[in-house]
Amino acid sequence: MYRYDDIDREFLADRSAEFRDQVNRRLAGELTEDQFKPLRLMNGLYLQLHAYMLRIAIPYGSMDSRQLRKLAWIARKYDKGYGHFTTRTNLQFHWIKLADTPDILDHLASVDMHAIQTSGNCIRNTTADPYAGATPEEVDDPRVWSEAIRQWSSLHPEFSYLPRKFKIAITAAPKDRTAARVHDIGLAIKRNRKGDLGFEVMVGGGLGATPHVGPTIREFLPAEQLLSYLEAILRVYNRLGRRDNRTKARIKILVASLGAEEFGRQVEAEWAAIGAGSDLPAGEMARIRAAFATKTFETLPERSESFEVAKSADPAFARFVRNNVKAHRAPGYAIVEISLKAIGETPGDASADQMEVIADLGERYGQDDIRVTHEQNIVLPHVKLDDLPAVHAALAKAGLATPNINLISDIIACPGLDYCALANARAIPVAQHIAERFANQDRAELIGELKIKISGCINACGHHHVGHIGILGVDKKGEEFYQLTLGGSGAEDASVGKVLGPALPANRVAEAIDAMVDVYLSQRQTGERFLDTLRRTGPAPFKEAVYADAH
Amino acid sequence: MRALTANRLSDGEVVFWSQGRWVERFAEAQLFADEAAAAAEAAEGHAKTETKVVVEPYLIDLVESEGLWAPLSYRERIRALGPTNHPFHGKQSEGGAVIEALQHASGAARSKGRVDLIRRK
Repeated sequence: MYRYDDIDREFLADRSAEFRDQVNRRLAGELTEDQFKPLRLMNGLYLQLHAYMLRIAIPYGSMDSRQLRKLAWIARKYDKGYGHFTTRTNLQFHWIKLADTPDILDHLASVDMHAIQTSGNCIRNTTADPYAGATPEEVDDPRVWSEAIRQWSSLHPEFSYLPRKFKIAITAAPKDRTAARVHDIGLAIKRNRKGDLGFEVMVGGGLGATPHVGPTIREFLPAEQLLSYLEAILRVYNRLGRRDNRTKARIKILVASLGAEEFGRQVEAEWAAIGAGSDLPAGEMARIRAAFATKTFETLPERSESFEVAKSADPAFARFVRNNVKAHRAPGYAIVEISLKAIGETPGDASADQMEVIADLGERYGQDDIRVTHEQNIVLPHVKLDDLPAVHAALAKAGLATPNINLISDIIACPGLDYCALANARAIPVAQHIAERFANQDRAELIGELKIKISGCINACGHHHVGHIGILGVDKKGEEFYQLTLGGSGAEDASVGKVLGPALPANRVAEAIDAMVDVYLSQRQTGERFLDTLRRTGPAPFKEAVYADAH
Repeated sequence: MRALTANRLSDGEVVFWSQGRWVERFAEAQLFADEAAAAAEAAEGHAKTETKVVVEPYLIDLVESEGLWAPLSYRERIRALGPTNHPFHGKQSEGGAVIEALQHASGAARSKGRVDLIRRK
């Protein structure tokens, strides 16, 4: 993984000292809250319902055991012993004290981490395929390009005060595990007919109150010209974005109002004016690439006898393998997904103890490489098949072996009204009720891939618009209600879900999901996922099942 | 009936106004009767000057629950109790009659805290 150099470390030390001074001045009354708030937000510190929340950047969701252990240590010392992994592949602590924050930033800096640009109208953490460097489908390693973007966008003076926040995702395989099409910029790594490396550039996707699937404005951008092209997009946005109206300030509104073709034309014109001077020199790209050098994998047979024996002997292990273990490009290795969606627990939460178990397993069995997914799970990308039984046993002991990746209980949920000052309704208990209702793993596997995503307000941090079933918490005269949307997808077949009907009270949500699952099971054709059946039949039978008693 | 609430600057803790000082327990909050609107607003006005102690103070409406008073809006009850997914986190972990009254309360009103937050954005 990428390692900080002395300049990076010196910068973080300076930044932390600067924030310490700002916190002291705020506590002494020398800064007002209005003056201080933008400063704390630049360091990822929000004030929520019960305490401050610190959002820590995990660049492209990639970290090592040393960093995860430090997060566990911070969770124990400064929080209530747990943390929450987010859809931006970051980590949030929900019980932070303002006065402790400068010390926490120092501890983070000691492991090359920080909370910069996890808030504010700037370029946020770039998310990338969590299977980077491991999946056989990969065109090129997205971490190389994500790191180039990180270095370019960190404290970029021109792009630190954009009209609104800005999020970039890089998918590196035909199977999109990053929700690229619903990002401000989605990049899909490709090769053209000549074999040259490049990107399909999608701009103007987004969720929130006005969801958009981003159109492609360039089918193939030569890879080495990525940064100058991004600069051109950001410049057009910076110039024309709606600074006068916060709800219309995201780039999706600009692209939709100009039209993708005209927006693309303006980007091309700006790009021509910028020239190649903004692109990283080949030598610097090579330096970054070397930091992600291909791992050395042992030469192993495709088949591991000990793995096969364990699978036959232990049905729980076999189920875990079916759902949480994915193909690796090296023979004898596998990608392991660790679900943070234990039945009845909070989606995306991990205790300090669990973080340490994952860190230990990553270090011992996974080449010290740990990833966070935008679906709020963890990945160990390089585990030997021979080691899988031991990894599974250790995960099971720590409550981390839930075999439900991509199944109905693998639910994205934002913190919602249990923590968030902006939320209208709770999201976590809704996810817990649904997971409990579908706790039977045989039934969950029978249902197959079904993505439920829950947001506690229209800001859509829980990505409800792109859930096969989306759930949006709304405030009806002060009471929690939930609006269902159907047919969304954040994958390569991206689409925005459509509202099914009137919002439901909390106690009717899980049964409504159950009713729709029954419709799917009775109507599905061979090989169809829930989403496929829904797209074939349309929403009518599902709507009828949910609102049957209202007729 | 109303109470005055804010978050404490140094640690973000939810606090309530009580006879000239900030307390952590809703049970100890000063209650302002509807006819004492001037007193409530005066307390709010004073709280807004305590910028070294609290952030964004505001008045909340209360509703009767089990013979006691509880915040009317769901958001304010969660603030006064703690997150519902971790019953041992936040003020609810202390238990007691007032906590139980809050947990059993119902009522439907938007929180002024959220409305203020959105207006400021």
